Amino acid sequence: MTGDPFLRLVEVTRRFGDRAAVDRVSLDVAEGEVVALLGASGCGKTTLLRLIAGLETPDEGEVWVARRRVAAEGRNLVAPFARSVGFVFQDLALWPHLTVAGNLDFVLGAARLRKRDRGARISETLRLVRAEAFAHKYPGQLSGGEQQRAAIARALVARPRLLLLDEPMSSLDAELKADLLRELSALLQMLNVTTIHVTHDRSETVGFARRVVLMRAGSVVQTGTAESLRPLLRGETC
Amino acid sequence: MTTATHNAASLRRVLTWPSARAATLCLAAALFVVFCVLPIIYMFGISLSDANGSLSTGNYRRLLTEPRQRELLLTSTLLGTGAALLATALGAPFGLLLARAPLPAKRLLRVTLAVPLVVPPYVLALAWILLTGPAGILARVLGHDLLSEWTYSLTGAVVVLGLGFYPLSMLATEAAARRVDGRLEEAALVAARPRRVLRRITLPLIAPTVAAAALVIVVFALSEFGVPGLLRVRVFTTEVFTAFAALYDFGAGVALATPLLAVALMAGVAVKLMTGERLLATRRAAHPGLQLSLRHPWRVPVLLALAFVAFTSIIVPLAALAVEAGGVGRIASAVRASGAAIANSLWLAAVGATLVVALAVVLGYGRARARTRFRGLVDLAFIIIFAVPSTVVGIGIIGLWNRPGLPGDVYTSSAIIVVAYLARFVPVAALILAAGVRQVPASFEEAAEVAGAGWPRTFTRIVLPNMRASVAAAWVVAFIFAFGELGATILVAPPGESTLPFRVYTLIANTPPSEVAALALVQVGILLAPLSLLGLFARGDAGRGGER
Repeated sequence: MTGDPFLRLVEVTRRFGDRAAVDRVSLDVAEGEVVALLGASGCGKTTLLRLIAGLETPDEGEVWVARRRVAAEGRNLVAPFARSVGFVFQDLALWPHLTVAGNLDFVLGAARLRKRDRGARISETLRLVRAEAFAHKYPGQLSGGEQQRAAIARALVARPRLLLLDEPMSSLDAELKADLLRELSALLQMLNVTTIHVTHDRSETVGFARRVVLMRAGSVVQTGTAESLRPLLRGETC
Repeated sequence: MTTATHNAASLRRVLTWPSARAATLCLAAALFVVFCVLPIIYMFGISLSDANGSLSTGNYRRLLTEPRQRELLLTSTLLGTGAALLATALGAPFGLLLARAPLPAKRLLRVTLAVPLVVPPYVLALAWILLTGPAGILARVLGHDLLSEWTYSLTGAVVVLGLGFYPLSMLATEAAARRVDGRLEEAALVAARPRRVLRRITLPLIAPTVAAAALVIVVFALSEFGVPGLLRVRVFTTEVFTAFAALYDFGAGVALATPLLAVALMAGVAVKLMTGERLLATRRAAHPGLQLSLRHPWRVPVLLALAFVAFTSIIVPLAALAVEAGGVGRIASAVRASGAAIANSLWLAAVGATLVVALAVVLGYGRARARTRFRGLVDLAFIIIFAVPSTVVGIGIIGLWNRPGLPGDVYTSSAIIVVAYLARFVPVAALILAAGVRQVPASFEEAAEVAGAGWPRTFTRIVLPNMRASVAAAWVVAFIFAFGELGATILVAPPGESTLPFRVYTLIANTPPSEVAALALVQVGILLAPLSLLGLFARGDAGRGGER
């Protein structure tokens, strides 16, 4: 990696009671890089993602996003909405009372984009993720794959500099998952968005993430390509 | 296994499972129809007949053409909407704060702010009369009457009912805010400031529940008899009572009850449409979402607002009753003089609450486990029946039970008061218990069925023990409602039979205020005991779900 990393975690720790969900994790991610956080359920991947987004506060350590220190000394220094982060949640968390376009419009309104510019941005983003056809539908009216596309569109519409994916494909069948990952990979390359993709499924990392970070019991145990970590991943548990 | 043994086992399963369950549900449904539905159908039937019993729309024509009816409609509407607006304006923000803000002593605060809900509204009205009436405490202290004109007015009734019903809005809003999936708010917090998230995500998600609670308050206010009766505001309920009890004009009473029935029907439909299956949802969201911080400069004004409402709605009325009642000796003397009514109230409410829960637990089970698409209609029936005003239910019961034979024997005994409790409170208990049954996974029953247990055994040994808290909560709610019931009791109670609310209401006109205040204070004291129990149950739930 050359120059300052875009995302930097320095000895980040988050405890719930006596248990350290994230234990002195350090990680550097370059701008535009796609990194997969891999590990079994409960090993701290999601907590780490939430610490980066600012939805959790680290007990110790520092978090830097876009070369800005956003959390340190046991508190968040920058609010989540000011970190230029797009987040796709595991359950997608599409707002049920708003249409797909309404979901995107909320984000753009919060980003203070002028009303007259929002329509074009929404259309453009929905086109990018091939979701124009259901722009005016409510989340409850969409299939699983369509909801996935809507959630990705919402995360990207404000053109965040960092995209956080929290196992968003876990509920999809293998074929649909592979299709979506292929499309998403091309899209992220085109937009040059730094991405952290949390997953417990090694197949999701192949061809998608340049680097794989293996986590176990709240700690990073290995970093490398999916291929190089293959022996370690056999029989992997948290 | 031989074919014969297999057939015998199959037959036994058929007999012990579907048929035992179906028989129990059918019996409960039949009792529900007899006690809760028939009085209302009877009222509808009577409203469509003339004095000779022939089919007629005369009652409805009078309703639309008589100026007096229009005036009553306007006053009733203003009372209902005014009380609902005030109650929602106070209760909804408090509910949101209880769900999302780091308030000090939150459990105590919740129970304290909920106190007006268990105090019968007529007791609150009585307290305000004793405080601000022409011979009230304020007039005596100041030397002249300052506020009685305001007290005996529509505005006074709106304020008393608003202060009495705001906990309904508060508790409904708090429950709705706790049900919102925190992920939905976190997804917004990544993009927007908390204030915008609150305005655009949280509030729209809880708005249907807040609106449904407001509508329920409109219906409660329209159904309320004691407050407008005491504050001399002429509305449909008081006119129904006057027509029936004072003028013995059954036809007029029915005609006056008609708009209340129509409102109950419309409100029931609207509440069901707004809440849908959320009516039975009790589960809190797994993830806490947006938290409201109470930092400077908001902390002090918010705490002051909470303290002011608690002071106005709880401390002022109770203090007025206490001051007027005088010392402990006077209270003891009032209790001695009305000992029979107090004892009567206690045992009738206890028996009533027990029977209400016994019937409602089966109905609630049927509703919770129903897979038919008509289950929404069952909710609708529960809501509408609960929304029917007490005086209307009272007249329906009289019409139905005042006849020779077994109904007549019941009608002339104190059992008719228990019948009134069943008619009024089974629906609300069934809704509480249906929510409780929902929390017991159906797989528990399936496991018992596979193990060979019959349905009665499964229900009593598996389902009921797993919903003890809901059963206890339903009993406490039924007891509180029954102990404070006035509108139906005052109409159906046989001569010589009196409950505490009935006695307080009839003593107001011709007894020294001190005795009335003492009895009202005793009533509040008895009702606060079950509220504390409810607080304990809530604490148990919070302990499991995590107080936030």
